[in-house]
Parts: sequence; structure tokens; C-alpha cells
Amino acid sequence: MSSITEFLEKEKPSGYTGKMLKELSKLNEELNAFNNIADSLGSGMPFSVKDNICVKGIETTASSRMLEGYIPAFNATVVQRMLDSGFSFIGKTNMDEFGFGSFGLNSTKPARNPFDVRYVAGGSSSGAAVATSILKYHVAIAESTGGSISTPAAFCGVVGFTPTYGALSRYGLIDYANSLDKIGIMARHADDVRSVFDKVRGADAKDTTSIEGEYRREVSKKIILPDQLTKGIDEDVESGFARLVEKLEGMGYKTVHRSIPFIDKAIPAYYTIAMAEASTNLARYSGFKYGYRNEDFTQHYNQFFTNARERFGLEAKRRIVLGTFVRSASVRDEYYSKALKVRRLLIKELGKALQDGFILSPVMPIKVPTFEEVKELTALENYKMDVMTIPPNLCGLPHVSFPYAYHKGMPLAAQLVAGHWGDHAVLGIVEEWERHFDYKFKYNIGEL
Amino acid sequence: MRIGLEIHVALPTRSKLFCSCRTDASEPNTAICPTCTGMPGSKPTLNRNALAISVSIANALKCRVPESTSFARKVYFYPDLPKNFQITQKDEPVGAAGEITIESGKRIGIRRVQLEEDPAKVIRQDDYTLIDFNRSGVPLVEIVTEPEIGNEEELRMFITELKSILYYLGIDIDRELKVDLNISVSGSRVEVKNVTGMKNLLDAARYEVQRQEKLVKAKQGVVQETRSYVEKDMKTAPSREKESDEEYGFIFDPDLASYKTTGIRIAKPVYASKIAKEYSKRYGVKDSALRELIMFNSGNLALIDSAKDRHGMKALITAVELLQRYASKKADPSVFERVVEIVEKGAYPDKEMMLRIEAGKSVEVHAGASDEEIDNEIKRLIGENSKLLKELGKNPKAFNFVVGAVIKKYKSNPRAVSERLERILKELE
Amino acid sequence: MVYMDDKEFSRLLSICRIHLRESERAAIKRDVDEVLEYFNSLESVDTNGVIEAYHPVAVGEKLREDAPSEFPDIGIILKNAKTYRFYVVGPNI
Repeated sequence: MSSITEFLEKEKPSGYTGKMLKELSKLNEELNAFNNIADSLGSGMPFSVKDNICVKGIETTASSRMLEGYIPAFNATVVQRMLDSGFSFIGKTNMDEFGFGSFGLNSTKPARNPFDVRYVAGGSSSGAAVATSILKYHVAIAESTGGSISTPAAFCGVVGFTPTYGALSRYGLIDYANSLDKIGIMARHADDVRSVFDKVRGADAKDTTSIEGEYRREVSKKIILPDQLTKGIDEDVESGFARLVEKLEGMGYKTVHRSIPFIDKAIPAYYTIAMAEASTNLARYSGFKYGYRNEDFTQHYNQFFTNARERFGLEAKRRIVLGTFVRSASVRDEYYSKALKVRRLLIKELGKALQDGFILSPVMPIKVPTFEEVKELTALENYKMDVMTIPPNLCGLPHVSFPYAYHKGMPLAAQLVAGHWGDHAVLGIVEEWERHFDYKFKYNIGEL
Repeated sequence: MRIGLEIHVALPTRSKLFCSCRTDASEPNTAICPTCTGMPGSKPTLNRNALAISVSIANALKCRVPESTSFARKVYFYPDLPKNFQITQKDEPVGAAGEITIESGKRIGIRRVQLEEDPAKVIRQDDYTLIDFNRSGVPLVEIVTEPEIGNEEELRMFITELKSILYYLGIDIDRELKVDLNISVSGSRVEVKNVTGMKNLLDAARYEVQRQEKLVKAKQGVVQETRSYVEKDMKTAPSREKESDEEYGFIFDPDLASYKTTGIRIAKPVYASKIAKEYSKRYGVKDSALRELIMFNSGNLALIDSAKDRHGMKALITAVELLQRYASKKADPSVFERVVEIVEKGAYPDKEMMLRIEAGKSVEVHAGASDEEIDNEIKRLIGENSKLLKELGKNPKAFNFVVGAVIKKYKSNPRAVSERLERILKELE
Repeated sequence: MVYMDDKEFSRLLSICRIHLRESERAAIKRDVDEVLEYFNSLESVDTNGVIEAYHPVAVGEKLREDAPSEFPDIGIILKNAKTYRFYVVGPNI
């Protein structure tokens, strides 16, 4: 039985939601999962919304100081569909500013890992993963551009699903990189993910790039292992992953090792496109129409804008500068256009590989890191950590991250990728895997 | 000398280019939404009608229309631009490589036609601004010409021609005519930005041409720069360099798709000036008389076309003129038919008769004076007054006096009398 | 390797209206060079005749009919800004 059905069927003691919200607020002070928590909660299954997705009348900041105070005048389509399906809004979840980051650090109050607060929660949907990991009955609406669902889900030991590009309307999503942004779902079980996905997916007149997909539901038993991605990774990750592969083989899956042309070019192609698009999306933040307001209107507009834009975090500034450069007319062909062409090649190659199987890999080349361990990484070292999550994100392929073991109390996770519109198929494999696996959680707020 | 234009024309759609807000609001900020104010989370969706109109314009300007068209983000920072980027077209505009033939017969190349969103309206205060987003997102078409306009006269002809073509597509260019001019007298190109309205356009061009010619004459050289037109002084003045293509950093707008142009219903273009020229040749009437009637009046053209196989063109022109002058409402084809018949009998109805015709009442038609009678009367008037003859060639008042006198006597068609008088004057030379 | 001299870097910052403090400036300048060098690895891929993939999946065109409708919550939009007599107040030009 899905936990959604379970929740709806179970008798709730009086004062249940009040007590739950109080408990949540208290733990949130320690873990920073939420940027804000609802004052009250309806009777539906609680759902949280990543803070870059608009909820009408609720402050939406994408964890940026630039957007402090922004009150959307409308609901994102996915939020509206959740509300229309009877879910109850519980709060806005923390994230890396505008989605820029893999570890959740690019936030004024970084989220902490619920298993052990010395560890990061992952990013950029850090809060969504933490919320899922601490709330017994809850689903999270998250978002991924280059791995922002897979990574935090992996680090917090929950299921993180990123659908095919266009499957969920982006209307109401604060853009990072429009051709890469995908709203997705986190939950404690794959069947909850599937149930939510089927309620919110589908074309939307308000988002030109949303699509009524032709879903391929057949589940193949072939698993492709892209060895190029797992070269030189952490030993514990490598050995844990090898045991997972063995178990899957025991369940009747056939594994093949395959090398995928151009896959090593996915990261530079991804970051080029992502930064180029991001630098245009972030142009609008100029300190007077919403969010942070520069009150000195007598300043000449250039100075006014420049002063307001100081509020961007360092990573946002870095991406604005790099993104502005790669789309400059004189180098546009070498960088921006080239990256789009490489994406075309990679879509073709991955499409070929995924015709009759799934790609399986770890989610990150490292175990869940501590804050200390990631603090010192350079920008480029940070970007290179996304080696496994970027190929499916760059190519808009549906993928799901799920925990498969625990190492010294912290989750180890893997990522399954399907061809376009194989969304239900990847979730199906995880559902099958769950029958052989016991999830562990440190907190179960709202348990009944 | 070479003049090139970038002309912005507002399209007559009911809703904006990328959102459903109406386009005709007057109270500030009453036709706005998250999309046209650039609120985070909003997305654009393309107006089908705006696309169709823009493709029709490209087609009417004889452009190559690509199979699919797409949009680009042009990034620059200004308080009137809600997203600090404008959604416009770069690599795949709705039209490229077209042309317009102006009255003189010269062809002016059209480099490109692109569909884009209008920025908001900014009202400058002492040390801050007030912004009205009603205009933000109104669909515009930008028409870029080759720098092939050679002088002010050609500039006037070009605008008239363009205006007529657009008029027949249902677009009123005067609703918002915003032009950037490129003018080069000596080789260095000067750009005059943001000139609004026809009068300012001609004034700005004239001023800038003279300014450059003076500099060239004085061997001072013209600086390649961006200037703006200062309406109150009727001058151009240097302005801040705007961003160039390098800085705009165009990228494909990933919130939008590529749009096929093949399924679009394209409005059939009407080239009124070409029609005027053709008819004038075929029927031996004056080009200018026809242009006057049909360049900006589709009803007149329709009347003429509906009857041109049955009646003489001269009579048709006269009848249309009469209807235009006296008819109380839009002319009924049957009224038109009666007027034509009466004119063909040689009569020239006055106001009273026109009203009777319109009311469906019977009228008494007397054949008008013959050419010979008119000629004799003209000669008589001239013969009486030798001073008048001297004045006739140069003073329109004298000319009109003679025409008026003849009309008074015979109730003739003023056009016919003018033509007779012109002929006589030529003979006398 | 240095891909951008100081002058070019300053020009870039002014285009995107970003001001960096001294400490930020040094860090970002170094990252820019390092990241661009990494991006340059795309050069080795032969993309002759390949068309740009603007989206990862085929996005069909979605056109909106030209029927105006009023956004119901203009009040919330305007509340986000400073307004004066229904105008949004903006910086000096």
C-alpha cells in the first residue's frame, strides 16, 4: 500500500497536525530543511515545494537574498495540480541559491543531513530531500537542472525522481536553465512518486515546452553499466555498487558494460548551456519590481542595478559572468552553439544505448561528504562531481536515484536512467528493488 | 548618400505577444500579468495571430519566409525591459531578403522582418521613473531596410509605400511608428535612434543629412556614432552608445519552440501603388488621381474593381471622388453604379443630386458641357484678362479661379476642367 | 592558462551589472580561466553538420489564441513593487 493511501486511511489523533508542525519547526531549526513552514495544514497528504517554485501568496525566494520578499501572484501548475488532487501544502524547502550547487552550501542557512548533521544534505534540492527523510507522510516537489534531485535524494536516503524533460509543466518555476530545468518528485517509496507523477504530469497551455508524452511502460531486464563514469571513484562507493549489481543480477537482470561516445563531454556541454541560459534568466533581478528593493531610486539605473545585484551569492555571480561570456557574439559559436551540438550527439548516443535497457550508476563518485570535505573544493572540482547526474539531465532522460545500502550509518545510492518517456519503467524497477530493501530513517515526524 | 531604416510597427492583435493581457488598456498597469511584468516563474506563450500577421507582412514585403521561425533573447539592462532581455528574433526571423518598390520605380531592399515584444512605457520624473507595463509585451514587427534610400524624397515615398502595404494588411502604422535611422553621407554611418512619428522622421533625416553634408564640405569628417533626435530643437544629438551584438549575447529562447510557418494563413498582399500605375497605363488616367483614392482606402479600390469592366475608368474615378465628398455613409454599390452612369452621361452631380441618389430618389440628368464648350469658355476668360494669363502658370489661385468659373457655368467635373485648362496652357506655351 | 585579460574581465562585469569586491574578483577571475579551459575540451568533438539541440526532446509548437483575458491578481503583482498612483517606481534614467 502506498503511504499516501495509508495516510489518508489512518485515523489521526486530535491535534495531530498542530503537534506535527511544531515538531517539524523545532527540528527544522537544526536541519534547515524549510525556508518557511505553513501555519496550518489541511487533511490531505502533506507536500512540500522547493523554494524556486511559486506558491501564490507565499514568499518564494529560490534561497536568494535577491528575492527576499517576493510574493508570487499565482500558483505553479504543478502546485495547482497537487492542491486540486487533494494534497496539503506544508512549506517551502531550502535549496542552493537558484539551484546553483550540488551540496546545498549556496544558501544562507545550508540544510544539514538528517542522518548526521556534520554531513551535507546534497543539492540543490537539499531541503526537499531532508524534508522527505524526516517526515513520515510527505512527498516533495523538487527540481533538477543537472542533478539537483538525484544527489540530495541519495545523500538523505530517499527516492528522487527526475522525469523526462517537458513531462511536468515548468509554469511557476523560477528559471535556472530553461532547456534543462525539470520539476520532479521525492518520496520515501517509488510507488508514492509514481502516484504523484501521474497526477501532475501532462501538457500545460501555460508552458510551451510541456509535453503530453508517449510513455513507454515496458520494463526491460537489461542494465547498462557505463564504466567510463565509474573510473577512479571512491572505493566504498565502488564496492557497494558492485554488490548492488550482483543483487540485481540475482533478481534476473542482465548487465552489460558499455562505453558511450562523448559522455565525457557531457559536463562541459552542460555547464556551458546552463550558464548561458542562467545568465539571461538572472538579468531580471535588478532591485525594484519584486524581492529585494534598492530604495534609492535617484541612482542612475546602471548604478542602481549594479548595487542591487551585489546581493547575488558568489556562485550566482560566477555563473552570470561565465554565462555572459560564453554567449558573447564573438565566441558564441565556440561555446554556446558548440555545446548545443554536442548535446545533440549525446542525445543520439544515449538514445541508442537506452533503446532496450537502463543505465545504472552510482549517483556521485564520493560518499556523502561532510561540510568540511566540500568546503575547500574549487568551482571546477564542484562541477566535476556531477559526472553521473549530468548526462541524463543534459539529455532530458528520466532517471531515479534510490538508496540501496547503508555504509557507516549513511546511505549509498544508485541512479537508474531510461530513454525518453520511460518514466514509469525506471520507477517500476525501483519498486521491484524496494521489495528486497528496508529503508532506514532517523526521524519519522507525523508517524501514526 | 545612403539611408537605412529600422521601423517598429505595432500589430493589431487583441492580446499581447506572449500573454493574454489586452493591448488597448489606457489606465496604467491595468493590463498586466506575471509574464509581461517579468515576474519570476512566469513563462511566455506565443500569440497565433501575431505570428500570422508577421508572416503576412514578411510575405507582402516579398521576403523569403523560412520554414520555421524561432525567438531569441536579447539581453540589455533598462528599466523599461521587465526581464532585462527582450524576446525578439535573431537566426530565424519571419522574413529576410525582401523589397519594396517605391513610386519612382526604385527598389529598396528589406533586409529582415522580425517579430518581437514591446518594452514598457517609462515616464521620466526629476530623479526617478514611473513605469506602466500596459505596453510591455505588445507585439511589434521590426522591418529593417538595406541602406538604399537615397534622399528625403525617396524616404517619403518609401514610408508611403510601406504604409499602404501595411494598411491593406489591416495595420495602422501611425498607431506607433518608431524608427531608427542609419544615415551615411560620406561613408561613416550615423545611427539616429528612437524617432517617433512621420514628421519627426523626415525632420530628423533632413537635419542629420544637412549636418553631415556641412561637416563633409568643411572637410571635418563625420564621426561614426549613435545619436538621438531632440524633438523640441529639431536636432540630432550624440547619445550614449547602446550595447552592440557582442553584448546582447543572443541565445535561443528556450521557453519557446520553433514555429512552422507553413500552416499559417497568409493574408494576400495588395500593392495599391502598383495597381494605380497599371490602371493609369491601361485606361489612360492620371496615376496620381488613382493613388489619391486607393492607397489608403480599400473600399474605393473595391468599388473601382467591381465596375471597371463595365465602365470607363475616368467615370469611375469621378464617381468615387463624388461619393467620397458627398456620401453620408459607406457607399452602397448600387448608389455607386447610379453615380457612375450619371457621370458617364457627361453630368457632374452636385451635393443636392448626390443626396437624392443616395436616398434612392429619381434625378434629372442634363448632359454636361462638351470639351469644346469648356475650351471656349476657358479661352474666353483668358482672353478677357491678359494679367490672368500671366498668373495662370505659377499661381494656383488664378488657376482655381478659371476652373471655378467654368464649373459655375456648366456644372462640369472639376477634374475635366482642370485637364482642359492644363492642355490649353501647354498649347499656349 | 589565462583566457581573459583584466580589461576584458572588467568589461564583462559591467555588461552584466555585477560588481565584485576585491576578494571575490580574484577568486572568480581564477575560476573563469579554469572553467573556460575545461569548456574548451568541447573543441575536440567533431560537430560538422550537427544541428544545435535547443531542447533535449522534441518540443511541439503550442500557440495561444488571440483572446484577451484579465489576470485576476494584478494587486499582488503591484504589491511586490513600490508604486505611485498605479505606476511602478523605477530608478532614474
